[in-house]
Amino acid sequence: MNRLFLFIAPAFVLSFLAVSAEPQLPSITNFSSIGPQRIIKWTPYPAAKSYSILSSSNLSGGFATNSSGVLSGFVWTVTNSSPVNFYQVKVTPLTSDELLTANVLNRLAYGPSPDDLERILTGNSPIGPNAYIAEQLAPETIAETVTNSHTNINLISARFAGPTNVIPESTNYASIDDFRAWHILRAVGAKRQLLEILLQFFENHFVTQYTKSLDYFDQFYDNDNAESRIATQFEYLENDKWRNALLNPTCTFYDLLKISAESPAMIIYLDTVTSKGNGSNIANENYARELLELFTFGVDNGYTQSDIVAMSRSWTGWTVQIVSPDKATNPFAPRTTKLLATSIAVGATNTTTVSNLAGVWAFNFNSTAHDVSPTLRPKTLFANAFVPSRFGAPYTTKFYGTNTVAGRYTLGFAARSGTNGIQDGYDIITNLANMPFTQEYISIKLCRLFVHDNFPNPSNDANNPAYNFYDYSGGNLSPEAQLVRDCMSAWESSSPMGQIRPVLQTIFSSDLFRSHGGSMQKVKTPLEFTISAIRALRSSTNGAFLPNTYSADTDGYNLVRTIGSSPGLLGPLLRMGNMSLFDRDAPDGYPEDAPFWMSAGTLAERIRFVQSMCIAVGQAGHTGTSETSTNDAGNNTFCSPVNLILAKLPAASRTNAAAVVDYMLNTIYPGEGLGNLNQYRTAAINFLNDGSADASPSVTPFANLAVSSTATAAYDIRVRGMVAYLLSLQRFQEQ
Amino acid sequence: MQHFNIITRRGFLDRSLKIGLGVALSTLTDIPFVMKRALAEGKIGLNGKKLLFIFLRFGNDGLNSLIPIEDPVYPLNRVKIQIPRSGAVNPYAATGVMDDPNLSAPGFPTYAFNAGNGFAALHPSLKYLAPVYNAGDLALIHRVGYPRQSRSHFDSQIYWENGNPNNNISKDGIFYRTLLESGLANTNPLTGVSIQSALPLLLRGSDAAMTNLSDPTRFRLLGLPNNAAGLSKATNSIVSANGFSSVDKLNRDLLNSQYKNLNIALNQFGDGSMFSETNNTFQDTVLGSGYYLFPTATAKNPNSVVDSGAYSFFKNLKAAALILNKTDAIIAGTELGGFDTHNDQIVHDDILGTVDPLSGGHANLQKRIGWAIYALQRYFLQHADKATWDNTVVVTLSEFGRTSAENGTFGTDHAEAGPMFVAGGGVKGYGKGRRTTGIFGCHTSDTYNGVSVPWIPGTTGKTGSMFGVSTSYLKRAVDYRSVLGEIIRDHLGATQSQLDRIIPAYSIAGQKLQSGGVTTNTTAEKTDGTTIAGELDIV
Repeated sequence: MNRLFLFIAPAFVLSFLAVSAEPQLPSITNFSSIGPQRIIKWTPYPAAKSYSILSSSNLSGGFATNSSGVLSGFVWTVTNSSPVNFYQVKVTPLTSDELLTANVLNRLAYGPSPDDLERILTGNSPIGPNAYIAEQLAPETIAETVTNSHTNINLISARFAGPTNVIPESTNYASIDDFRAWHILRAVGAKRQLLEILLQFFENHFVTQYTKSLDYFDQFYDNDNAESRIATQFEYLENDKWRNALLNPTCTFYDLLKISAESPAMIIYLDTVTSKGNGSNIANENYARELLELFTFGVDNGYTQSDIVAMSRSWTGWTVQIVSPDKATNPFAPRTTKLLATSIAVGATNTTTVSNLAGVWAFNFNSTAHDVSPTLRPKTLFANAFVPSRFGAPYTTKFYGTNTVAGRYTLGFAARSGTNGIQDGYDIITNLANMPFTQEYISIKLCRLFVHDNFPNPSNDANNPAYNFYDYSGGNLSPEAQLVRDCMSAWESSSPMGQIRPVLQTIFSSDLFRSHGGSMQKVKTPLEFTISAIRALRSSTNGAFLPNTYSADTDGYNLVRTIGSSPGLLGPLLRMGNMSLFDRDAPDGYPEDAPFWMSAGTLAERIRFVQSMCIAVGQAGHTGTSETSTNDAGNNTFCSPVNLILAKLPAASRTNAAAVVDYMLNTIYPGEGLGNLNQYRTAAINFLNDGSADASPSVTPFANLAVSSTATAAYDIRVRGMVAYLLSLQRFQEQ
Repeated sequence: MQHFNIITRRGFLDRSLKIGLGVALSTLTDIPFVMKRALAEGKIGLNGKKLLFIFLRFGNDGLNSLIPIEDPVYPLNRVKIQIPRSGAVNPYAATGVMDDPNLSAPGFPTYAFNAGNGFAALHPSLKYLAPVYNAGDLALIHRVGYPRQSRSHFDSQIYWENGNPNNNISKDGIFYRTLLESGLANTNPLTGVSIQSALPLLLRGSDAAMTNLSDPTRFRLLGLPNNAAGLSKATNSIVSANGFSSVDKLNRDLLNSQYKNLNIALNQFGDGSMFSETNNTFQDTVLGSGYYLFPTATAKNPNSVVDSGAYSFFKNLKAAALILNKTDAIIAGTELGGFDTHNDQIVHDDILGTVDPLSGGHANLQKRIGWAIYALQRYFLQHADKATWDNTVVVTLSEFGRTSAENGTFGTDHAEAGPMFVAGGGVKGYGKGRRTTGIFGCHTSDTYNGVSVPWIPGTTGKTGSMFGVSTSYLKRAVDYRSVLGEIIRDHLGATQSQLDRIIPAYSIAGQKLQSGGVTTNTTAEKTDGTTIAGELDIV
C-alpha cells in the first residue's frame, strides 16, 4: 500500500521575463506510481534553461531539490521505494537577454556564431542584445571588415564593372555565380548582418531573374560572355543601389521601389521592355499587375483589373538601350553610335548592329512606344475608390493627392506626349509607395520575416476572415495585427514618410519579437539553413578574422555553383528547393513560410549537406566532382568542430563528453534552453561514447580518446558525427 | 491484379476508433475528424485506382492548345501568334476520330490539326495525343474555371490546389483531403507523392504528411563517416530523436511529421536505384526503339519528341509513374512550369518581320504535354504492376487561361477559363459507349445534364465566348471542381458524403457542381450567376 501525496504547484520563476504573452508555467499533468517506478510528467516551458524536481515530506516544511530521480524530456522518474513526498517542478528560464540574443541572431543575422554569442552575451564584456539591435539598425556606423575575411570578396569585387564601363570584349567579368558567391560570403561574414538580411529581403521582394535578362540579350549577341556579363551586372547594380539606399538613415520604401522600377533587370523581367501602347498594340500587363499585387498593395488590396489595364499603358516606353557610358543615367539618351574597336568581324556588312556598339545598357524611355492608342489619352487609376473603413483614421480621413474628398485615392493624370510620358510611371510609384495598402502589405511581409509566418494576407472582402483580422477601426486586435498597425503608424509618421528604420525599430521593440512569440517559430530557407550551419561552427580561432583562420567557412561558390563539369553536381541551394539566387522564375520571390521548404526530399538534401560539410575534406562524402558523387558541400565549404573546441574549451573539458555537448548545444540552439534539450543532450553524449563508426570500431569511451583533429582519429570522427547529428535535427531547421 | 491492403486499413480502424472514443469521451464534443474518416465507407485506396496529376504552372494559353479554330474571331484576335489552319479544303469539317498527323514520322505538323468535333483543332505540337484520343482514353475539356476567377497566379494556384475558390485561409489541399478520407494517410507508408522542388499545396495538410522527392535519384543520406557503420549510426540517432518531446512552436507539428515522412520514404526507396538514369530503359513498343517513354537526356530523345528543356520534367514524371506503379501510393504527380507567356510565346524576327507561331516556348510546352500523356498511356499498358492504365487517371491543372486577344509583345496576359486534359483507360472519351467525341466545352452545341453551354462564335472584334467576361476573357462553362470531383468519387472511390468534405462546395446547391445550371450570384457562396455544365461523365 503506497500512500502518496501529490501536490501540483506552479513552479516559481527565478528570473524576469520581458514578455507580454507570458507562457503558461509548467504544471504537473501526470503522476503515477506503478510497480517499481514513480513518474512525474509536466507541461514544458519555452526556453527553459533547466527543470528540477523539488520535494518535501511535509507541506509545512520547505521544499528541497530532489536529485534521486532521472530527468528525460518532461518526465522525472524515481524508484518507488523512495520516501513518500510532495513534489514540485521548478523551471529556470533563459534570462530575457539570453532569449533576446538568440532571437536577434536568428533574425537580424544569418544565425548565431560562436564569436557573435561571445560578443553579445557570454564574453568578458558583452554588449548585450539591445546594443546589437541599435548597432544593426545603423549599419553605416559599423566598420565593415568582411572583405578581410575571405580573399574571394575583393577578387570578385574587381570583376564588377563601374556603372560607366563600356561593354567589354574580354571575359574577366563577374558571372552570376561570382555575384552569388560574393553575396553569400557577405551573408556569412559581414558585421552588418541586418543589412545583408534586408538586402536579401528586398532583392527577393523586388525579384528579378538573371536568366530572363540573358534570354533577352540573346537576340543582340552571339557571345555568351557578353550576355552573361550584362545580365549579371543588372543584378549587381540594383543590389548595389539598394545597399547604398539602406545605408542612408532616412531611406524610404519609395527609394527602394524607384530603384526596382528603374532597374533594367525588372524592365526586362516583367516584359515592360517590349511593351507598346501605340498603334494596335495592347500593352503587356505583367509589370502593372505584379507592381500592385506583389510589390506594393498586396493581392486584391485596393485595386481592380481595370486599374491594371490602365496602368499597363502608363508603363509602355520604359525600356532598355545601349547608350554612351556618360549618359547611363539619362533615360532619354540616344543609342550610342560608338563602335567597339576590336569586335567587328572582318568583312562585316553592318558595323552598326548592336553587338558592335560600345556603351552600357541602361534604363531608357522610348516615347514612340508610349501609350498613344488609339489617341493620346489621360489616365485614371482607382476611379472613385475609397480607403476601406477597416483602416480607420488617419487613413480614411486624410486627403490623398489632389482628391478633395477624404479617403478617396483616385489618381489621374493628363495625356502626356513625347518625353513627358515618362512621368506617368513616376507619378504611379510616388503614389503607390505610401498608400495604406502598401504600408500594410510591406509591414506584414517584414513581420513575417522577423517574427513568424502567421500574418495572413489582408482582405477588403468582409466575408473573408482576414478582413476582421486586420480591422484596425475596432479595438481588440491580436498582437500580430496590432504590430502591423504599429508598423504602419511608424511608416506614416516618419518624415520623409515611409522610412524603413522606424518600421524595423517598431518590430524590434515589440513584445512579439522579443519574447517567445519570435523564438524558434520560423523555418529556415535553404539560404538561411546553409549559411547558419556554417556560421554555427565558424570562429576565427586565433581571433585574427583573416582568411584561413576559421573553424568553418565557405568560398561562396560551393553553395550555388554546379560542382564539377557539366552536368555535374548541383549546388545545395538548388537541391534544397531551387533557391538559385537572383534567378527566381516566379515574381513572388522565394517564400518565407515553412510548408514550401519542408518535405522528405528537401530534408534529405539538407541533412546530406550538413553531413557532407561535417565530413573532413577529402574523405568519402566530401570529395569528388561527378554528378553522382556525394560531395554535397563542396571542397571549399568545410568545418572543423575540433578546432572550435580547441579554441573555446579548456583542455580539461575537451574529453568531457557532457562539456563538449553542452558547449555545442548552447552555441547551435541558444534560444531553446538546455532544459528543453535534455534528451538531445543525452543522445549526443551517447553518440560521443559510441565507437561503432570509428575508423577501427572500438568501445573506448570518449573520455579516453586522444584529442586530435586528424581526419581519421576517433576523436575527430566522433565530434564531427555528433555535430552533424545536432545540425541534422528538427531544431536546426528552425530559427 | 490489384493490391489491396485490407489489414492496414483494419489496423487503422482499430486504432482510430480508440483514439476517437478516448477524445470523444473526455471532451463530449463533436466527433473528431479522424473518427468520421474511419467510419466512412469509401473505397479510396482500396479499389486499386490511382491518380497522376501534372500542374501546368503559370497559366497555359488554352486557346492555342485546344483551339476554337472555327470561331471567326480567333484569327482576328490572334493575329501574330495564331496557329495556322490546314490548307486542305474544309479541314475541320470531318467529325469522328481526331486527325492522326503522321504519328510514326518524327517532327510535327505545320498547322492546327482537326480534333474531330467540327469546331476545335489541336496545336500541332500535341500530335501524340491523337492515338490516346482515338483509343477513347482522353477527354479534352475546354472553358474550365471557377466563379469569381482570380487573375493572380498565386491566388489562383491556391484555389485550384485547395479546392476552395476565393478562400486563402484554407491551407490544405484537395488531394490531401482525398487521401485523408482514405483512412490510410497515417498508416500506409506512401499515399500521396509529388516529385518536384517542393510539396505542392495540393498535398499539404496538417493531419498527415505527404511525401515530396525533390530529386529521387539522390534520395538517401550520407552518414558520418560516410560508410555503412556511419550511416546506420547517424540515421538511427536522427530517427530516435523524432520521438523527443518539445515545447509547442508554430512549425513543430509540420517538422515532426515531415521528419517521420523522411524516414518512411528512405525505407521505401532504399538506395533509389529504381529512379536512376541507367534504369530508364522504357521504350515504346508501338513507335519502336528509340522512342523512349521518358526522354530524360539527349540520348533518350533521338527523335526529338520533346525539346531539350523537357528532360528534368520527364525525370520527375517517370518517378511519379514508377511510384504509382511500384508502391501503394494512390496519388502522385509533378508540375511543369514556364506557361507565363506574356511575351514571345512564339518565335519572331523583328528585323525580317517574320513570325513562326509553331516554334518557341509555348510550342515546346505543348510537346511536353502531348508526349507526357502518350508516354504514360504506353508505360502503364506495357509495364503495369500495381497501376494499370485502366486503373489510372492522368489529369492536368492550370490556374487560368490567357487573354483572348494577344498583346503587343507576341504574348498573352492573365485571363480566366482554360482547358484540362484528362486521360486514362477508364476515361469515357471518343468512341466509349456511344460517345461521338472526347472534346468537351469546345463546340457550338455543348449541352450537358440538359444544360446548354454553347461556345458562341464571335462576329467581329471582341465578341462571342472568347470575350464572355467583360469583353476580355474566355468565360468558363465548366468548374474545375466538377472535373476533379467526378474523378475523386467515380474513379478513386469516394462516397458522395466524402466528396462533400473534400470539396465543400459540392453540398451547396447554388454551386451547381454536380448537375449544372445557373449558379447563384451571392457573395457569401462566392458564386457569380454563370451557367455551368456540372459533371461531364468522363470517368
